Amino acid sequence: MVVNVKLMSMFARYLKNHPDGKVDMEEDSTVRGLAEILGLPVKLVRIITVNGKQEDLNKVLSNGDLVYIFPPAIGGG
Amino acid sequence: MISVEEERLLKPYFAKSETSEITMRQAEEVSVETGICLRKVEWFAIRKGFVPRRYRHNLGTFSCAGQLKLLESKVVLAGLGGLGGHLLEQLGRAGVGEIVGVDADVFDETNLNRQLLSNEGNLGKEKAYQAKERLEKINKAVKFTGFSCCLDELPDEVWQNAVLVFDCLDNIADRLKLAHKCSEMKCPLVHGAIAGWYGEVGVVWPESEMLEKHYQGQREGLEKELGTPPFTAAVAASLMAAKGVQILTGKYRSTQPTIHFFDLLEDDWENIQL
Repeated sequence: MVVNVKLMSMFARYLKNHPDGKVDMEEDSTVRGLAEILGLPVKLVRIITVNGKQEDLNKVLSNGDLVYIFPPAIGGG
Repeated sequence: MISVEEERLLKPYFAKSETSEITMRQAEEVSVETGICLRKVEWFAIRKGFVPRRYRHNLGTFSCAGQLKLLESKVVLAGLGGLGGHLLEQLGRAGVGEIVGVDADVFDETNLNRQLLSNEGNLGKEKAYQAKERLEKINKAVKFTGFSCCLDELPDEVWQNAVLVFDCLDNIADRLKLAHKCSEMKCPLVHGAIAGWYGEVGVVWPESEMLEKHYQGQREGLEKELGTPPFTAAVAASLMAAKGVQILTGKYRSTQPTIHFFDLLEDDWENIQL
């Protein structure tokens, strides 16, 4: 199956091998599996959405899903 | 907002029946002659159909009722750096009636790339006092009190009657402390944070524990690696100001905890309900 991935901010670098944002995965893979394929450090992941709904790393993905992964920002100064 | 006696003193100045404008100078003269503060004079003038000319270009957006609500409102700005400086400027020009600003720091050279309140002439000076000087040049009707101290050292009266708080801080521990205080006060909090081209702005409703869930034990962000450029600070602060004005004027409809993310490099904007 293929999922569509958008990584915000500094996470964008982990999509350099997938410039169209499409990632091939085995059926029933999870967001955690997606992060592993991309080499994304899961401890930095703060918010995940799948098709606009907030999910966690254990969410099982389906073909065509749109996955956003957000890092945190802290600066105010 | 004003006493019966103040209304009696102000009434003769605003007796005309047709809708009109009042200039900054005229409002100041009424204030001096009656001894009533400028904020109350402006508020009364709007009630009587005299629009302070300084707010002419606000009213199409806010309406007279909204402008009155802004003048009546007291808000607290926690942090007067990259986000806080732009917010102070915008809330002051919008005509938010009372603003308390707190920041323990002084300006240094590394602030000059983004902090609106900093300039080459005020390095080494307290941000909270520089904020007061800036606001007095922009809108004297706004009552501003600056505190050059940590959040923990603020006197209790700072929080009394505050209807909205802005989180412009730069570390998670203080952000969570502020969120806890707002929850206790049952006061909404507008949160903002930036890192590089990326930023987030959220409206935190009391007891939602949104920031606690958002940071989940994390202690450091990405801004040290990615920097804090001028435009990201200005965009995040403008979004915070817009959300704040919506809340103060009753135009913010959602009570769901929401975070707005933006990435200025990728032109990507996402709203996430938590």
